[in-house]
Amino acid sequence: MCILMKKISSIFIVDDDPITVFGIRKMLKPVALCDDVQIFQNGKEALDALLKRMDSGGDIPEVIFLDINMPIMDGWDFLEEIMDLELKEKIIINMITSSIDPLDHQKWNEAKAKCLHILNFKNKPIFKIEPTDLDCIHLAS
Amino acid sequence: MKAVERIAQHYLLKQLPTATALVGVDGILVDASDSWLHTFGLCSKDAIGILVYDLFMGYNTDCGKSLRECLGKSTAQTCRFKKGDGSSEVWYENTFTPWYDERENLIGSIIQAQNITEEIKKEKELNRMINLLSTKSEVAKVGCWEYNINTEQLFWCDETKKIHKVPASYTPNVNEAISFYKQGYSRNKISMLFHKAMEKGIPFNEKLVIITDNGEERWVRVSGKPIEQNGEVVKLFGTFQDIHEQVLSELQTKQSQQLLTTLIDNIPMNVFIKDTDSRKILVNKAECDYLGKSHEELIGTTDFDTFDKESAKISVHEDLEVMRTQKPMIGKETLCVKKNGETTHFLTSKIPLFDLDGKVNGLIGISMDITGLKKKEDQMRNLINVTSLQNKKLINFAHIVSHNLRSHSANFSMLLKFLANEEDETEKERIVGMLSNASNNLMETLEDLNQIVDINTNVNLEKKPINLHQNITKIQKNLSAFLEKHKLEVENNVPENLEIQSIPAYLDSIILNLMTNAVKYRSLDRKLTIVLSAKKHGRGTIFSFSDNGLGIDLEKYGNKLFGMYKTFHNNKEARGLGLYIIKNQIEAMGGSITVSSEVDKGTTFNVYFNEEDK
Repeated sequence: MCILMKKISSIFIVDDDPITVFGIRKMLKPVALCDDVQIFQNGKEALDALLKRMDSGGDIPEVIFLDINMPIMDGWDFLEEIMDLELKEKIIINMITSSIDPLDHQKWNEAKAKCLHILNFKNKPIFKIEPTDLDCIHLAS
Repeated sequence: MKAVERIAQHYLLKQLPTATALVGVDGILVDASDSWLHTFGLCSKDAIGILVYDLFMGYNTDCGKSLRECLGKSTAQTCRFKKGDGSSEVWYENTFTPWYDERENLIGSIIQAQNITEEIKKEKELNRMINLLSTKSEVAKVGCWEYNINTEQLFWCDETKKIHKVPASYTPNVNEAISFYKQGYSRNKISMLFHKAMEKGIPFNEKLVIITDNGEERWVRVSGKPIEQNGEVVKLFGTFQDIHEQVLSELQTKQSQQLLTTLIDNIPMNVFIKDTDSRKILVNKAECDYLGKSHEELIGTTDFDTFDKESAKISVHEDLEVMRTQKPMIGKETLCVKKNGETTHFLTSKIPLFDLDGKVNGLIGISMDITGLKKKEDQMRNLINVTSLQNKKLINFAHIVSHNLRSHSANFSMLLKFLANEEDETEKERIVGMLSNASNNLMETLEDLNQIVDINTNVNLEKKPINLHQNITKIQKNLSAFLEKHKLEVENNVPENLEIQSIPAYLDSIILNLMTNAVKYRSLDRKLTIVLSAKKHGRGTIFSFSDNGLGIDLEKYGNKLFGMYKTFHNNKEARGLGLYIIKNQIEAMGGSITVSSEVDKGTTFNVYFNEEDK
């Protein structure tokens, strides 16, 4: 089924819905080999953790699964904060939403143009993690 | 004897007052009265014996007969003689009577002369007058008539006959004359007038229609005046004039005037004409009705007399501009404020009015009252605003619904797919447990949505007057356990007699939500105090709800604060629904809610109760 297990040093899942988190983790299992999968309830928690890792020289996540609608700090606000950070590596950010509001899609397009990181837009439901969700090399080909 | 007789005769003759002369058949003057001789400038001793032909040398006759033919005839002759010309002319009428001797032998003529210069002058004047009169009556088409009551004779002058189109030889009588008048009104009227003039001596002057001899209908003016003698009417005299053309053009003018008046008075617009000083010189009925004044009261007034100063200034300025530039002002929306403050919207046109020389001498104004239309337009605009607002809310709501429902259904799909592919039994059980969680979440979401829909659909719930102070106290009592547990202090500064218009259930929900909200986001560093106050604001009431809790960064979250499922604190109890619900409830009652806050100081919500539906 899966051709290759991708080895990933660190993954962030930012979502306040436990079912989605469960799903993502389950889907990650067959495609990615990662010992460091961290779950966050909202953008603020994830941002704080990221800043902490940057300070302490810890692993910066290679892949982030980011929900849009969350309390305290939502996906968009988190994205704004990330863009301002000085990061050497590009992060693959998969925005996950059940919203079909065209405004969200438009926002994503605008953000993609501005953002140095790789920005994917995934509409729920998700049944499978694609290779492109994990690897920027595949995007180029 | 003979001589004596002759002398006696001579003296007798000499003294006759009437100019008299005796002339023999041979034409020799035998004797004459001094008065006769005087007319020739002679005295008796020079004159006797001369030939009368010589005396009459400078005279002309007007009858064509010569003096010779008149003298010595056995029948009496009359002849007029004229001497001189123009203003110095003198006329004599000479009567030649045969002169016989005792034996009836014709021996000459007795000439009697009479100075008739005055009579001739009068005769000439009379002729002139008659001429003048007939010319005048011909030119003016004024004829005359005369009726002699005794002889029952009716006289028509030539002009009168001409007007009747009868030949000059026609002799009228009263019956025929009356039958010339058109049957009906004209004939009845003239019969009556003629009768009244005869019987009671009442003069008349009337416009009537005759049918001429050749069958043509014509308007005439006929007048009659009784002439009395010894207190009795003996004659009627009158004029008769053809006024057909005048009447027709008068009729036409009247008709077009009538048309114009009817049009101007019945047009559902205000029409007025102003002079160069902006004074009204014509107003129609609509304008009178609008200003509540009579036609007479309005003539001569300016807008300063009827409108307030500002309105009048604008209007008069327009008037003067239109007359100065000579360019009409068409269909301009104007606002007129009457002295009593009543305002009317008009669609006004002002058109310069030119006199026959092309000079501006005023303007015509036409205004249509569009107040009703304006009101409808405003209503419509309001409706559009409300509708677009509702629409926005609906779209927003639809997105919320779709998002919330979709997130659950997406979870279902995902979990079911897992379940289908899962072989491990414990993992299967775990997935089923999650499915049941997802189902519970969906139910909860549906209930939330239902609540929102209820608020937005039950717009017809009735507002009631509620004492705000008492209502707060009641909720405090219901929440007493909750409030005590959190050591909450409530300061109810709402005036005790203040009443607001609200849907009771919504007011409870608003206060309850704000209170639980304050408790949820209280600061753990200090005792929570809530201050409630209210005051009248215009036609509504502002209800202020302040706490000393955590506060919120409005710059960051201000536009999301009242959104659905928006939470801003790390609080497990937060569901992000309370503020969304009360915002919907307040808006459903026509009010609004605003917020001001400072982080770690507190938050104040201001609820505006709009109390229009009293």
